[in-house]
Amino acid sequence: MGSQTGATAQDKILLLATESCAYPGADSVGQAHASYPANVYVLKVKAPVLFPEKFYLDCFRKGIGGIIIMSCGEECPYEGAYKAMAKRLDRVYELMKEEGLDIRRLRLTAICTVCNRAFLNEVNQMNQIVHELSPPVQAP
Amino acid sequence: MDSSKNAVFDAVVIGGGIAGLQSALDLAGQGYKTAVVEKDASIGGKMIRLSKVFPTLDCASCITTPKMAAAAHHENITLYTWCDVQRVEKDATGVSVSMIQRPRYVDIDKCIGCRKCEYNCPVLVPDTEQGGFSGRKAIRIPFSNAIPQKALLDVENCMLCGKCADVCPTKAIRYDQKPEPRRIAAKTAILATGYELSSVTGKPQYGNGDIPNVIDSLQMERLLAPHGPYGRVLRPSDGMIPDSIAYVQCAGSRDASMGVSYCSRFCCMYAVKQAMLLSGSLPLADITIYYMDIRAFGKNYEQFYQNAKAMGIEFVKAKVASLDAGQGGAVTVRYEDQTGEGATSRDHDLVVLSMGVLPGFAPGGVCPVGLGPDGFIQSVLPKLSPSVTDLEGVFVAGVAAGPKDIVDTITEAGAAAMQAAKYLTALSGKAPGAANKESSHE
Amino acid sequence: MSEPQRAKAPDAGEQAKVGVYICYCGGNISDHVDVEKVRERMETVPGVAVARTNMFMCSDPGQELIMEDLRQGRINRVVVASCAPSLHESTFRSAIARAGGNPYQYEHANIREQVSWVHHGQAATDKASRLIAAATGKARTLTPLEPLRVTARRHAVVIGGGIAGMRAALDLADMGVRVALVEKTPYLGGGVSRLVRLAPTGEDAAHLVTTLARRILEHPGITVHAGSAVTTFGGYVGNFTLGVSPVPGACAPAGETWPGGYVPGKGVLVPPSPDGGAITLETGVVVLATGFASYIPRPGEYGFGENAEVVTLPDLIQKIGGLEGQRGGTLVIDGRPIRSMALIHCVGSRQIPGIHEEDANGHLNEHCSRVCCTSAINTANAIREACPQTSVYELYRDIRTYGRGQEELYAKASGNRVVFMRFGADQAPVVQRGAPGSGHPLKVTVTDQLTFGEELEVPVDLVVLATGMEPGPVADLVEMLKLPVGADRFLLETHPKLRPVELPIAGIFLAGTCQAPMDAGETCNAASAAAVKAVSLLSKGYVELDPFVAEVDVRRCTGTGACVQACLNPGAIALETMDIDGRPVTRARVTPALCLGCGACVAVCPENAIDINGWTLAQYEAMVDMIVSDAVCQDSGAVPETVGA
Repeated sequence: MGSQTGATAQDKILLLATESCAYPGADSVGQAHASYPANVYVLKVKAPVLFPEKFYLDCFRKGIGGIIIMSCGEECPYEGAYKAMAKRLDRVYELMKEEGLDIRRLRLTAICTVCNRAFLNEVNQMNQIVHELSPPVQAP
Repeated sequence: MDSSKNAVFDAVVIGGGIAGLQSALDLAGQGYKTAVVEKDASIGGKMIRLSKVFPTLDCASCITTPKMAAAAHHENITLYTWCDVQRVEKDATGVSVSMIQRPRYVDIDKCIGCRKCEYNCPVLVPDTEQGGFSGRKAIRIPFSNAIPQKALLDVENCMLCGKCADVCPTKAIRYDQKPEPRRIAAKTAILATGYELSSVTGKPQYGNGDIPNVIDSLQMERLLAPHGPYGRVLRPSDGMIPDSIAYVQCAGSRDASMGVSYCSRFCCMYAVKQAMLLSGSLPLADITIYYMDIRAFGKNYEQFYQNAKAMGIEFVKAKVASLDAGQGGAVTVRYEDQTGEGATSRDHDLVVLSMGVLPGFAPGGVCPVGLGPDGFIQSVLPKLSPSVTDLEGVFVAGVAAGPKDIVDTITEAGAAAMQAAKYLTALSGKAPGAANKESSHE
Repeated sequence: MSEPQRAKAPDAGEQAKVGVYICYCGGNISDHVDVEKVRERMETVPGVAVARTNMFMCSDPGQELIMEDLRQGRINRVVVASCAPSLHESTFRSAIARAGGNPYQYEHANIREQVSWVHHGQAATDKASRLIAAATGKARTLTPLEPLRVTARRHAVVIGGGIAGMRAALDLADMGVRVALVEKTPYLGGGVSRLVRLAPTGEDAAHLVTTLARRILEHPGITVHAGSAVTTFGGYVGNFTLGVSPVPGACAPAGETWPGGYVPGKGVLVPPSPDGGAITLETGVVVLATGFASYIPRPGEYGFGENAEVVTLPDLIQKIGGLEGQRGGTLVIDGRPIRSMALIHCVGSRQIPGIHEEDANGHLNEHCSRVCCTSAINTANAIREACPQTSVYELYRDIRTYGRGQEELYAKASGNRVVFMRFGADQAPVVQRGAPGSGHPLKVTVTDQLTFGEELEVPVDLVVLATGMEPGPVADLVEMLKLPVGADRFLLETHPKLRPVELPIAGIFLAGTCQAPMDAGETCNAASAAAVKAVSLLSKGYVELDPFVAEVDVRRCTGTGACVQACLNPGAIALETMDIDGRPVTRARVTPALCLGCGACVAVCPENAIDINGWTLAQYEAMVDMIVSDAVCQDSGAVPETVGA
């Protein structure tokens, strides 16, 4: 793992964006040239149900400040995946509490392919939260 | 997108809306080389311009863009956009489509869709893609999710200042582009020419289009779309957030005196859908639907309608007699109340007319296909194979064969592709049996 | 039965050499991102063999840069940083394939829509650098993949011999697909056989059914298994196996008719199947055309079952047939003159919780049955035109003559002086015995909204209930094929617009009223749409599936079964006994043709022994490491030693 000394390392926000909804949604924000904080990184996922509890905690440990899971919501192409993931997140929240992580650092939301305003709202809110909170891991 | 001037295909689909795209995808999926001819600068038809769609309330773009992209990237599909069909001829050798490629004034092979031209263009005109509620440049990408993502110059409004040519990084602007005739030969054709809404002009009872804040349902779709002209629902005349919105159903349908005696089939459901979306975005607004019968006949439609009623949307059974401009931008709706009040009236901040659905294509002089008395293309086997027309080897799909919602359109488009594929198979003699043998028993 | 094959085994030992190609996009990217600076940074990233830039990476010269590096063996993984992947990912993948590379050893960095169009200055350059570095982190571990190929039998089983099943079978067979049509009764024709003249165009039901059935029976590519039902089911797309057995007692009454002849109300009698006993069908696809059942009113519902003069609309249609011999006067049914009759709409349809009574199983039919309004009006018109002395009253909630030519039928009914009365859902008409001496056995009382809520009493000789459509009795198939069912109990498609005739189970399609109420034309459209999907699927002799499916590392797997529990598509992953190092062990095994690739199994494996090809957890971790790493963006220039390893 790389060093954590950079001033920007700790406020990075990860978006886990579904390839059928939220990822094209992020592109739509780009087409509209609507600016948002540059510490936001979009990762394309088939379905966020793939990630185990540990993945989220590891991300925070590595210095990610916030994670937004941008799913398709109830319109998920994988039947049952959304429910399974929502259940997993409850456990992630428990684990986050145990580790003293503010649970506002992790959020689940649904973003459609042209939901520009919802996307920007989510990103800006998370950015605010991440800036309010101290970094999830202290620099060595 | 490379489309030579004379090209040969297995099938040609006239119309690049959801019906045409589905037909093309279902033909191409079987390996048939298929051309799609679209009069607009983008494929996607009416559906790509909608906000959300009933009864699932999916965002329309999320459903349409995957099919548009699949067609655009398909190795067996060639798209011809911005083309005017001149003639569709059918003879023993197959179908021949003559058309004019209208100039975009942009070299489509060079344009990378970056919109630099659009940002630098000084000319601003009303954007019909946004219901006329916002502006667009003389050169622009037609709309955000258009396919192809290529610029289009509107020569009517261009002042030839040269700014677009200066900033274009690929030197793609071609002020001297000319209309070009093209010809497509195919063995079979599917007509998927869609619809237009009837116009409010010429309807004095609705104010001929002169009453402010009376809009049609497609304009409301744009107001509701997440990437709409205002980004939220505002009253066009003054930007007020409307407190009271009314829908006038059968505004030009089921009424021979207004030119459309048939039922336009999907207006009830889109009005219910828009009302639901409005009550979501404007929770305090009163929404009233004036109707004759609510025709919520499709799968899960009735349940959708009952949900709308439970949400507090008001349904008033009444035929609206007329609309007038009221006080402060309001619209006065005059109607016959069925509960005993007789002729009465009510003011609303914004009124949406559920206009009738008219054929998008008048084949007269272009294609010798038979029409019904309603002007839509006639099916000769309306029960056993509704996509079969009186022209052998020419099939019809979607609203071209009469008003239809998206679900029924997509299904019929698949059926048309099936019948066209059977026709092709029978021609090549590769498979046993002949297409549409049933017709010989009719 | 053939197993899906992978054309190439991943060459694990190969050293990763990543080529990074960064696009200027004619200023769209380079105006905000210092592209050359990014390239310099990428050259320092572990695993990166070359980093290049071009004004338009998607242009032929841009693509040629990539292809030449591949051909020269300088690189074996590709990262392109340009516009959104939806625009040009396929362009670059096919360039790689043309140069002899594997198109799946490719990762895209989206630095236009997600960087230069939304960020500016140093922040844009830094974010682009981190995103591309992250893409290289993933690219280093990308293994070559091939689309999964499952051989598919060019054969279809169609279940149901109504017009949907017949339409689908003919369409498939005309395309050269061999078809087995399984029908549980001895007749072909289904629901349409119970009709006489179809609205609004007046076709003769017998003629429609006979037209299709004759072609079915003559078609060399179609085998009809009438009086038979599906009893077992297994396999997956391209390779299903169905057991079909005779339905006990399903044979025509002796001497009733001859094979090939039409029996009103039943359909065309099929010659007995030569096989006789139980058989096994091996097939590539299955089309479900199991149709609907007519709603049977509860005893006492609108007087049904208690009064002989209360009948259902399907019964009336059967009784009056083509109204032969009824011209000129009063309609006569069973010797009884009908001077006045009432048709009540929405019986067993549009039921509302709290207003309508649930059936014995707790079900309400909340759906609209779509066809009954037009059917009722069509019948009313036929009666009024043939028997002008018979008065017809239609009691309705909404008239739903939505289809082409149907509104005209409604207008014609007004011309025929059919009397319409509208009732509210909570003000159902009441059917009672008529007053003695009234001359009519029944009276119907209705609060009519068309006359300002006046309570009207109509003396009638006949009450006809326009009963709706319910799902057919297919509980056994639902159980056997694991079919999804909606809240309305009809079979549930994957998506009403994206995939309207498909199910989440690949290779099984829906045709007609098993899915929802439809009229005959809509049913045939749905059947043809199902057929075209099936034909496309079978057109190549094999089915190509995305390679992005789960794969188990049997060396790591300890057979906990957690993945089996988590799997969203039961059957896609199962525990099996296999031989490893000479010892029998229990391990998880994926059936790629059934795997959806969602990754639900990946998250729950305690041994990290399962991954989605092309989207592995380790690849995501490598990307996160690169995003948080300051290696490429800090002045120090130091390269982390173990990033992404």
